[in-house]
Amino acid sequence: MTITLSGITKTFGDFTAVHPLDLTVPEGSFFALLGASGCGKTTTLRMIAGLEEPTSGTILLGDDDITHLPPHKRPVNTVFQNYALFPHLDVSENIAFGLRRRGVKSVSKQVAEMLDLVQLGDMARRKPRQLSGGQQQRVALARALINRPQVLLLDEPLGALDLKLRRQMQLELKRIQTEVGITFVHVTHDQEEAMTMADSVAVMYGGRVEQLGPPAELYENPRSTFVANFLGTSNLIEAQVVSGATAESDELRLRTVGDDTALRLPAARCAVEGVEEGAKVLVGVRPEKISLTHTDGPDTASESVAEGAPAPAGVPAGVPEGHNRLTGRITDASYLGVSWQYLIETPACSELTVYEQNVARDSRLTPGAHVVLHWRPEHTFALDAAQDAAAGEEAI
Amino acid sequence: MTAVAPPSPSGPASAGAAPPAGKDPDGAVAEAGAGRARRGLTPYWLLLPAGLWLAVFFVAPLFYQASTSVQSGSLEEGFRVTWQFSNYTDALGTYGEHFVRSFCYAAVATALCLFIGYPLAYMIALRAGRWRNLVLVMVIAPFFTSFLIRTLAWKTILSDGGPVVGALSSLHILDVTHWLGLTADDRVLATPLAVVCGLTYNFLPFMILPLYSSLERIDTSLLEAARDLYAKPSTTFRKVTFPLSLPGVVAGTLLTFIPASGDYINAQLLGSPSEQMVGNAIQKQFLNVLDYPTAAAMSFILMALILLMVSVYMRKAGTEELV
Amino acid sequence: MSTTAPTSPRAGSHVLAAPVRWLRRNAVVLVGSAALAYLLVPNLVVLAFSFNKPAGRFNYAWRTFSTDAWTDPCGVANMCSSLGLSLRIAVLATLIATAFGTFAAFALARYRFRGKSTTNALIFLPMAMPEVVMGASLGTLFLNTRVQFGFVTILIAHVMFCLSFVVVAVKARVMSMDPRLEEAARDLYAGPFQTFCRVTLPLAAPGIAAGAMLSFALSFDDFIITQFNAGPSTVTFPMFVWGAAQRGVPVQVNVIGSAMFVLALVIVLGGQIAANRRKRV
Repeated sequence: MTITLSGITKTFGDFTAVHPLDLTVPEGSFFALLGASGCGKTTTLRMIAGLEEPTSGTILLGDDDITHLPPHKRPVNTVFQNYALFPHLDVSENIAFGLRRRGVKSVSKQVAEMLDLVQLGDMARRKPRQLSGGQQQRVALARALINRPQVLLLDEPLGALDLKLRRQMQLELKRIQTEVGITFVHVTHDQEEAMTMADSVAVMYGGRVEQLGPPAELYENPRSTFVANFLGTSNLIEAQVVSGATAESDELRLRTVGDDTALRLPAARCAVEGVEEGAKVLVGVRPEKISLTHTDGPDTASESVAEGAPAPAGVPAGVPEGHNRLTGRITDASYLGVSWQYLIETPACSELTVYEQNVARDSRLTPGAHVVLHWRPEHTFALDAAQDAAAGEEAI
Repeated sequence: MTAVAPPSPSGPASAGAAPPAGKDPDGAVAEAGAGRARRGLTPYWLLLPAGLWLAVFFVAPLFYQASTSVQSGSLEEGFRVTWQFSNYTDALGTYGEHFVRSFCYAAVATALCLFIGYPLAYMIALRAGRWRNLVLVMVIAPFFTSFLIRTLAWKTILSDGGPVVGALSSLHILDVTHWLGLTADDRVLATPLAVVCGLTYNFLPFMILPLYSSLERIDTSLLEAARDLYAKPSTTFRKVTFPLSLPGVVAGTLLTFIPASGDYINAQLLGSPSEQMVGNAIQKQFLNVLDYPTAAAMSFILMALILLMVSVYMRKAGTEELV
Repeated sequence: MSTTAPTSPRAGSHVLAAPVRWLRRNAVVLVGSAALAYLLVPNLVVLAFSFNKPAGRFNYAWRTFSTDAWTDPCGVANMCSSLGLSLRIAVLATLIATAFGTFAAFALARYRFRGKSTTNALIFLPMAMPEVVMGASLGTLFLNTRVQFGFVTILIAHVMFCLSFVVVAVKARVMSMDPRLEEAARDLYAGPFQTFCRVTLPLAAPGIAAGAMLSFALSFDDFIITQFNAGPSTVTFPMFVWGAAQRGVPVQVNVIGSAMFVLALVIVLGGQIAANRRKRV
C-alpha cells in the first residue's frame, strides 16, 4: 500500500521536529529514513504509526486518510527500537498478541508459521529476557508481521546488535521483505545499513528531507554537503566557474580557488541551477574515485595500468588524458586492510582523503612523497558553496 | 520498484538548522509518549480519592489540632478557643526536658543505627554474593513479629542479673556507662541505655533498607577504578563509596530520626519515668489526663521542630529529591 | 620454633600477618553479621519463651519447657478476637489504600498537571511526621466532630498512613516502565482499555503488590496511631499486647509472634527456592 505524507509537520512546544514534509512511499518498496539522531526521522515514523499526531498535514494509506486514526485501528505495525517485547508474556504470547486483540480465536498455526519464518521454533515458551539480542529482534519482527500489516515500520531495528549480527539481520530482513512483499519503512542512522537494504532512501536533516532517491544515486550524485558528508566521505574543494555548459559541450569548466587548477565536470552533476561565470561552487569527489601517481611517473616495478593515450607534457606518465588533476604531498598513509587511506595536502584544498585498492601498491607512496591525484570528470560533482562544507561530518 | 517521490520542498541549504541544544526530539518523543497529550481532567479524577482522604484525615486534623492548641477550658465545661498561647509556653516549661530528651535519644539512636546499619547494608550489597537475598529476608523478617512483642523481648534480654547484664558488668562496661550517666546500680533496664538500645533496635531496618538500595546501585567498576587509581581501601570508601551512598544515608537518617523522636513505646516498656520522652507526655495528656489543648500544643511544637531540623538537614545534605 | 627462632622483631609480625589480613578483609562481614544478630536475637528470644512455663503473670524469666501455649494458642481471653480484628482491619485498609494509592500513583507518574508538586508534598508529608502527631491530630478531629471511636475510625487512620507508602511503591514502578511497551500494545490493535488490562497492569503488578504488602504489614503492626483512634471495645492485637505488658504477658503472645515470624520466613524462602528452581530449568 502506498503511503503519502503531504504537508506533515510536528512541533513539541516551541521546537519543530518535522518541517512541512511531502513524501510518497511506493507500494512494496523498502524505504529508509536516514539521518542523525534528532533529525525528525523517528517522529515521522511515529506519525505513520499513529503514536504521534501530526500538528498539520495529512497521511494517506492508499486512498484512505489515516491522519487521525488511533494506532490500534491502523493496518500498520512497528518493530520498536529495543523491541518493546512484553516481559510478562512468553515468545508465542508476544507473537499472538496482535491477532488476539483483533479477536482471532485459534492462533497457534499462524504463530507456529511465524516462528518458522524467523527460525525460532524451539523458543516459543521462553520469556523475552531469556533470549539474545538477535532472537529478541526476530520475535519483534514476527510479532509485527503476523498481523499481515499493509506497512511495516522499523525503528532502528538493528541498533542494539553487534556488527556481525547486524550484517546477518540486514540480509535476513531483506529476504523476509522480498518473501512477504509488503512495504517496509525503515528508520536508521546507519548509512551503510540504509544503502544495503533500501530501494530508496530519504536523508533527513533538521526536520527536513535533504535528498531522496535510490542509494547509488545519493552516493554518486549528492545534492547537498550534508548528504555528501553523511553518506560516506567526500572531498570538497572550493572552485570558481570559468564557463558554463554550451551548445557544443555540456561540460562545466572550473578553476580551483586555491591554485587555479582547471577542473571539468558534466553539467548535470552540478547541484546549483543555472550557474554563471564566476560563481563559487564546492567541487566534490569521493576518495575511492581518485587515483594517485607519483610525480616521477609510475613505478616501473609495479604494473600500473596506463590507460589510453600518453600523458601530455608536464604530466607524469600514467595519468590519462582528460582526467581532472591536482598535485599534492602525502601527509599520512594508513593501512586499512582492503585499502590504503592517504591524507594529501594540496594547494587547492588543505586535506584530501584518497582510498587506494590494496593491489600493486607503489612503494614510494609514503608520507612526504609528491603525487598527482587524478579522477574522471564524470566522478566529480558540484554543490552550492553557500552551505557549510562540514555539514554532516560529525553527525554520526 | 524504486521510489520516485516528489522532491521535498526543503531548500538545499539547511546548514545551521540543527535542533536547539538539549532538545533531542527522539528524547522528547519518548517523554511525550509517556504523557502524550493526556492533560484534561483524568489526573484529577485519579487523584481524587487519595487526595480527598489525605485532605480530610491528614490535613484537616492538623487544622483542628492548631485550633485546639489555643483553647482553654476543662473537660467538664468544654474547651473553647481563647487564643491561649500560654498552652505553648506552659508545655515547653513543663515538658521542655522531655523534648530535649526525645531529640537526644533519637539523635543517639540514629547515629548508632548508621554505625551498625552501614556495615550490614554494605555487606548485603557488596559482599553477600549469592546469600544476598537470604540476608535481606533476615533483615525484613523481624517485622513479621509485632514490634511490641519484640520490644518486650528486650526486657527479657536485659533483665537484671541476666547473662547480658552479667557480661557487661564483668567487662566493666557498666562502670563506664554508669560514669556517663547512662545506667545506674548495675542494671540496664529502666535506664537511658535501655531506651536508646530499644530505639536503635526498632528503627535499624529503616536505616538499613535505604542504605542498601543506594549501595546496591553503585557500579562496582567505580570502586575498581578508584583502586586502580592508587586509592587504599579506606580512601576508596571515603572518596567514592560513601559519597555515592549519601542519598541512602540521608533517607535512612530521616526515616530513623523522625519516628524515633516521636516514639513513646520504648521509653514506656524499657525505661522508667525519668526516661519519658515527649511522645509519652502527649499520649498521657491526650489519653489519660484528657488535657487536649496541652497535647495539641506539644504535638505542634514537636512537628514544627522536626520540620525545622529536617529542612536544615536536607539543605545541608543537598539531597532534596528523596521520594 | 626453637630451630628457627625469630631473629628480628619483624618475624613475629609475619606470623600474625595472615590472620590480621583476613580480619581486615572481612571486618565488614563480621560487623555486619553482628548487626544481623542484633536484629534477630529478640525474635529468637520470643520463640524460645513461647515454650516457657512462667511462674507468675510475666513471661520474662525462664522456668521450664512446655508446649502448653502452642497447643492452646487461643487460651487467653480476648487475644484471638483482637487478632481477628487486626486482620480484618489490615485486609480492608490494604484493599482501600492499594486501590486509591495506585490511582494516585498513575496520576503522578503519567500526567503533567497543575498542583502536581503540592500533591507530591501532600503525599510525602505523612511519611515525614511522627506517628504520635498524626494519631493525636486525627483523634482531635474525631473528638471535635463527635465521631464514635471504633472500627471505622481505626480503618480511616490506617488507610491514611498506608496511602503514602502505596503511592511511593507504585509510582517508582510505573515510572521505570518503558512507555514503548504500551505503544507496542496500541500498535498491535489493543484499544486503551485492553492496553491497560493486558500490558500496563501486569507490568505495574510488582509495584502494586509491594505497596499492598507494605500496607498490610504497617496496618497490622500499628500501635501508636491506633491507640489514639480506637474505641474501648475495639482492641487490636498490638493494643492487646500493650495492655498485657502492663498486666502480665501470656505465653500465647509469644506463640503468635513466633508463628508469624516462622510463617513469613517459610513463605519468603519457599518462594525464593521456587524462583531459583524455575530459573535453572
